[in-house]
Amino acid sequence: MQTLRADLHVHTALSPCGGDEMSPPAIVDAALAAGLDMIAVCDHNAAGNAGAVGEAAGGRLAVIAGMEITTVEEAHVVGLFPTAAAAGNAADEVRAQLPAIDDDYTRFFGEQFLMSARGIVRGAETHALALATPLRLEEAVDLIKRYGGLAVAAHIDRPTFGVIAQLGFFPFEAGFDAVELSRFAPPGSPAAAACADYHLPIVRSSDSHYLEDVGCVATALTVDAPTFAELALALKRREGRTVSDA
Amino acid sequence: MDLETIARELDLTDLTPALGGADAEVTAGYASDLLSDVLANAPEGGVLVTLQVHLNVVAVASHAELAAVIFSSGRLPDAEVVAKAAAEDLRLYATDAGTFDVVGRLYGLGVTGGREA
Repeated sequence: MQTLRADLHVHTALSPCGGDEMSPPAIVDAALAAGLDMIAVCDHNAAGNAGAVGEAAGGRLAVIAGMEITTVEEAHVVGLFPTAAAAGNAADEVRAQLPAIDDDYTRFFGEQFLMSARGIVRGAETHALALATPLRLEEAVDLIKRYGGLAVAAHIDRPTFGVIAQLGFFPFEAGFDAVELSRFAPPGSPAAAACADYHLPIVRSSDSHYLEDVGCVATALTVDAPTFAELALALKRREGRTVSDA
Repeated sequence: MDLETIARELDLTDLTPALGGADAEVTAGYASDLLSDVLANAPEGGVLVTLQVHLNVVAVASHAELAAVIFSSGRLPDAEVVAKAAAEDLRLYATDAGTFDVVGRLYGLGVTGGREA
């Protein structure tokens, strides 16, 4: 067993609100500088840069392919997937439900760059990733699970876009695998204490939109290897694998 | 203003017709789609206008001791949500009208937010 530092919620330049400096090689460098062993790439309603970040890491850093879905209730749900291909297929299903961008979109919401592993812009996402999908919360969780993923209730301590802010109470029936606390809810804070009632594993993630934030908080994973399968075991607290505060 | 009159005046669809209590007096209202805000600020005994149709609307409205919920903009909850509301004795209504127009008409009937600055 080994203990890894993981930041399971990092955006790239594909997210309209993500900094344009969030290129695959820059994210990998920032993660390594922050002492991370694993990151999850979670862009809004898309996963088109996750594979490139994994390629840029070249084995120096474990990269989980993820996606942050905006539900019809405007709650954010992070999906973590076994492979970049699975994340890509899940994302194709999500993206298809968003309208195409118009001429003014990027001016108001930001660019949505698709990048190579070397950080070269190879295109732009044409669906409006900043908008809410028509997926209800339970449908978003089900979609993630259909592609073999893990569903995490994102930044549940935040005043907007977390499931508690949007829905008042934690939606137990949705079937989340974990809850995520932001950098604004340190251990011992009331939000962190409230999480104990959900009887779900808690991860702490940076939700980085800029390089300086990568790894500002992290989760400690006690696992056998830096892989998705081991992460899944840790979130299920099986076979001696665990998650805790880093 | 009782719920039965409100429903008639606003031409609302009654989603929980089997429930009694349509003669309950409603004096205040609240409009929000952020359920944590509803939980914190909606007036007891009031009516909520929202386009959120998630199951948690019922939990929040019951917890806040609201008299009824009006779903605006043609949004309709699942049968599961309606059944939960019936079990909680919470009346649900639906309308194709948008929240702004629903609230305007409620205000015209004397149902206010009670929190004017």
